[in-house]
Amino acid sequence: MNERVEPVYLEEKLAEIRADGHQSYRSKSMPTWCPGCGYFSMADGLTIALNKLGIKSSDAVVISGIGCASRFPFFVSTYGFHTLHGRTLPIATGAKIANDKLTVIALGGDGDAFAIGGGHIPHAARRNVDITYMVFDNGIYGLTKGQTSPTSALGFKTATTPYANGDEPLHPLMMLLADRASWVGQAYAGRPHHLAEMMVKAIAHKGFSYLHILSPCVTFDKTDRTYANLGMAVRDLPADHDTGNLMAAMAEASRDDAPALGVYYEEMRPTLAEVMDATASRAASAG
Amino acid sequence: MSAPLHNVIIGGGSAGYGAAMTLRARDAACRISMITMDSLPFYNRYDLPKVFRSSHDWRQLLAVPPAQYDVLDIRLRRASRVIDVNGADRVVTLAHQEIIPYDRLLVCTGGRSYLPENLNECAGLINHFGSFEAAMRTAQALPQRGRVIMIGGDMIGIDLALTLLDTGHHVTLIANEHTFWPHVVAPAQRQLLLAALAAKGMTVIDANRPVGVVAGKPGKPARCVTLEDGGEVSGDVVLSFCGIAPAVEFMLGAGIDIERGILVDPHLHTTDEAIWAAGDVCQIWNDKAKSYNFYHGWGNVRVMGELAARNMSGADEVFDVNVADRIDIDAQGNLRSTFWTH
Amino acid sequence: MAKDSFDPARKPASTDIQIAICGSAGDGTIATGDILKRAAALMGYHVIAFDIYPPEIRGFGKCISRIRLSSAQTYSLKQESDALVSLNDAHAIPHASEVRDFGAVIYEDSAVAHLPEGAHISGHIRAAQIPYGFNMRQISEQATNSARSRNIVALGYVAGLFGMPGDIFHEVIAGKFGKKAQSVTDDNLKAFDAGFRAGQATFKLDDVVVGTAAAGSSGADAVMMTGNGAVVRGLLEAGIQSYFGYPITPASSIMERLAADLPRHGGRFLQTEDEIAAAAATVGASYAGSRAATATSGPGLALMTEVIGLGVMAEVPMVIIVSQRGGPSTGLPTKTEQSDLNLCVYGGSGDAQRIVLAPTNVEGCYRCAGMAFQIAEKYQTPVIVLIDLYLSNRYETVIPAKDNKFAPKPRVVPQLAAGEAYRRYELTESGLSPRALPGDPGLMHTITGLEHSELGRPNGEIHPAMSARRHEKLLSAVNYPGLTTCKRFGDTGRVDVGILGWGSTFGEILEAMQAAQAEGVRCSAMKVVMLSPLPLEPITAFFDDCTTVLVPEVNYEGQLAHLVSGAIGRPVLRLNRVTGAPMVVAEILAEIRRLAGAATAGTTAAAKQGA
Repeated sequence: MNERVEPVYLEEKLAEIRADGHQSYRSKSMPTWCPGCGYFSMADGLTIALNKLGIKSSDAVVISGIGCASRFPFFVSTYGFHTLHGRTLPIATGAKIANDKLTVIALGGDGDAFAIGGGHIPHAARRNVDITYMVFDNGIYGLTKGQTSPTSALGFKTATTPYANGDEPLHPLMMLLADRASWVGQAYAGRPHHLAEMMVKAIAHKGFSYLHILSPCVTFDKTDRTYANLGMAVRDLPADHDTGNLMAAMAEASRDDAPALGVYYEEMRPTLAEVMDATASRAASAG
Repeated sequence: MSAPLHNVIIGGGSAGYGAAMTLRARDAACRISMITMDSLPFYNRYDLPKVFRSSHDWRQLLAVPPAQYDVLDIRLRRASRVIDVNGADRVVTLAHQEIIPYDRLLVCTGGRSYLPENLNECAGLINHFGSFEAAMRTAQALPQRGRVIMIGGDMIGIDLALTLLDTGHHVTLIANEHTFWPHVVAPAQRQLLLAALAAKGMTVIDANRPVGVVAGKPGKPARCVTLEDGGEVSGDVVLSFCGIAPAVEFMLGAGIDIERGILVDPHLHTTDEAIWAAGDVCQIWNDKAKSYNFYHGWGNVRVMGELAARNMSGADEVFDVNVADRIDIDAQGNLRSTFWTH
Repeated sequence: MAKDSFDPARKPASTDIQIAICGSAGDGTIATGDILKRAAALMGYHVIAFDIYPPEIRGFGKCISRIRLSSAQTYSLKQESDALVSLNDAHAIPHASEVRDFGAVIYEDSAVAHLPEGAHISGHIRAAQIPYGFNMRQISEQATNSARSRNIVALGYVAGLFGMPGDIFHEVIAGKFGKKAQSVTDDNLKAFDAGFRAGQATFKLDDVVVGTAAAGSSGADAVMMTGNGAVVRGLLEAGIQSYFGYPITPASSIMERLAADLPRHGGRFLQTEDEIAAAAATVGASYAGSRAATATSGPGLALMTEVIGLGVMAEVPMVIIVSQRGGPSTGLPTKTEQSDLNLCVYGGSGDAQRIVLAPTNVEGCYRCAGMAFQIAEKYQTPVIVLIDLYLSNRYETVIPAKDNKFAPKPRVVPQLAAGEAYRRYELTESGLSPRALPGDPGLMHTITGLEHSELGRPNGEIHPAMSARRHEKLLSAVNYPGLTTCKRFGDTGRVDVGILGWGSTFGEILEAMQAAQAEGVRCSAMKVVMLSPLPLEPITAFFDDCTTVLVPEVNYEGQLAHLVSGAIGRPVLRLNRVTGAPMVVAEILAEIRRLAGAATAGTTAAAKQGA
């Protein structure tokens, strides 16, 4: 069910928005997404999160792949690198290794992440490189005008599966949990405030954070993942969910039919930078 | 197609070389292996005195350029010593344990320089001259106008001694029963020959055996030979030329007849149908004398090698055992010997 | 010194000898070669050495270590060795023929068991070669109570025979075994000395003479390096800060050395999950301001081409070391080849020209790697340093650069006028505009693999102007100060035969050219080090001077021939060999002679006609 929104007064709201400063994280470029796309919530959420965390624009880097997410960096005022299909994670890893002080956010869609980019996920996660990976999962390839993706539902019909998709979709959250990601959470573009809060937590987490964002593709999927369907399907994680319990998180993540929103799992362990610094110390004393 | 015949020649001197060349000329298909202890391809030992005429490049001494062995497909195994020959199995065993099967074997290992027993202890101080390396070590030990002491003086030694005199060195010859070996010389002629050598400038000591060789003291000449009468002769280098003894130890298990040398018929065939012998190592049956005799001399050795090779490859020739064996002095006072004809 | 059968007083003015050591993997063959080459370097000689390993991981496969020591700089190993040491006759017998006439073959002259005919190397030595058999095993047992040090005994024998200074070998042996128990060093020294005495006592019949070292050379300055080691040294001296790599033969040792060395220098090292990730992390790190590099071989480069294209389009510097091996595809992983020129120069979609440097020897590997970062940063594009398996694994003596020659240049931070937006891709005359790095205040911008405006925003109409910028900015690289991008050797002015080459093959080309000159042929050789962009002027001038130009390459398609011929519109003659081994000097020489003969005949014919 979509979040209930209280009635607001336009002038008050605009004043509030202008006052809190998160608009300064938007660039002058007009987004090219379809009206109603979940990416608008995502962009908004990111600016709110960066603002809330007090991260300077010049210290943040947004790295995108290929897809509707491609243009994302152009719409925010941070540093940005629009890269190749499926390669955001190693590029982001390189950027973070180059400069620990940067806040590095990698983002992409379900195709960029789980089709061509799938091979890089386990390694970025297990290394615990301190970046935030946000995957916008609309179960379809939108930019190329609507093809089946690794997270499309069984039976989904597109131009490349005109006789219905026969492949089981992946379990992204289970995969990331198994890949040893130290922070795993899920949000929904139809709940923008919760999404922004989740982004704050994801970015604040020290280590590899994975935020899975469910969204419709308003243009090419009018049947399966619509706001209506998603709104009804999503739920919150149980109040007593133990974010330190990997198997409990796995169990929740296995519930395709009822995707839960919230922080599934978090742990603290040395980041890649800390490991590298420790290596340098050992190397210095061994030398 | 059966494997080609393997002819193995033990000995890399004149006889062996002559045999190898002859075999190849008569049979283009057979395999030929020459086994020698020497490290160089064939050169005539009688050319070794050339090292005193500043010929230090052994390549000048070679009978043929090394590439010829490849052209003629003669497998030359150098620095190799035979330790056993098994006539029944027809294999030759080398010191490094390699087993070489043969179809036909020619033994022409020549002989070892004989050293009087009483000088065996001093062998380390006595130089050799039987190979290029030995000749070079002698030449390097001898300063300009150096002094050589020669014990015995067989025909090989006399030839060297004459070269030494000619190149400005001093030679002292301590003569004994081996002087002029292999010639058997009557006492009267012996005196004439010794006098002829003295006339050439050699110092000749006769009837006075050497009993020992010692290293000279610092500042003195490198060697000193003590004589049985108590006298001493000092010099830079001591050489012994007392004839040669046939090198046959490795043949003792072959099952052929051996006296001092390998016994062969006038065809140079041993008692084993696959083994021949030629050169200084063999004694040839002389039907007139009814004995097996040695036939030394540089010319003889070559002739024997070539003849044996012809017989190994099907001929039926006989070595002329009635060759004369003569030494005399010519009108100019030079020694002439059939040993030196080649 | 062993008594010399030639004039013992002779000490020739120059030295150029090559010693090959052949044995099985368990014999310490490579270790012996290692000591010999280090000793030769300390003695002051130029050294080139190359080891061949067996393909199996374990077992007793054949190893050959070849070391060439010379008083003048040479550029390749010789086709014939001057001496061969056999530590294992079964392996060494096929190589007995590689020793030249009057060279030495050194071997064990006893055996523990009977051998069939032909199993001992003494039966395979040509009449013109000199056999030196001696009792290595027995000497080892007497000196150290074990036969294990036979290889060191043999090394001592070689040193004694050829009159090399034993004390220098002692120094190298002590250094090599220094980290082990003292008894190990002692045993090896005893074994060496025992062999040395045996060698000294041997009467020398060969004419291999170890004469004077290079005039005025000090062995202490030179460092023995492989091509891979030289690359690592160059990168470290240039201030490499991060390295990303994936194991692949023959580049793995670059990664392994940096895994150990980079953290010690305060840098960061990561082994990635594949070559795509390695290249991607390199471009990501470089984007964020780190001096980043990766190394791979042909198959890995094929995977990296998309990332290289991104670097070209987004104008992000990166350094990629490529060591070629036999191809295509998995190809011949342990054999050398020069068949990735096309991939380096052209690989990737679109007009994606980048800078490619191809050194010709180990010192070149050091220099090109050392200069790669500053060139990549100036031209804001990927720089590929292209070597091959032969160079990667070949040892040469190198005199390291002084005065921090490769030290990084200070960064130019873009300065903005008030109210001005930062134009990352400002269309300037040089084509270069300063790069802002994440973290620089007020200069935020996004870069992209899409065609983009001066501001970096996606834009298609500007494609002609940006294409021109990306290509023309590179042109001045052909004259980059301190870098030899191409060089001519041999006769100046008009020549009958010109030989154009690149990479390690240039060593063989130079030797063939020198031999041809000695025979009276007017010829000249040119090495092309910068393959992209090509130094068109000097190459064209070279072609103007040569009646014919021959391009010998270790690839089938004649990749340099094609590149140059196409670029300047002149015909070339090709000489291609893909044997997995370096080119044979004699084959290049034969071709030079043939062309020289044809050129002379042509001149004569023309003279006849004309007159």
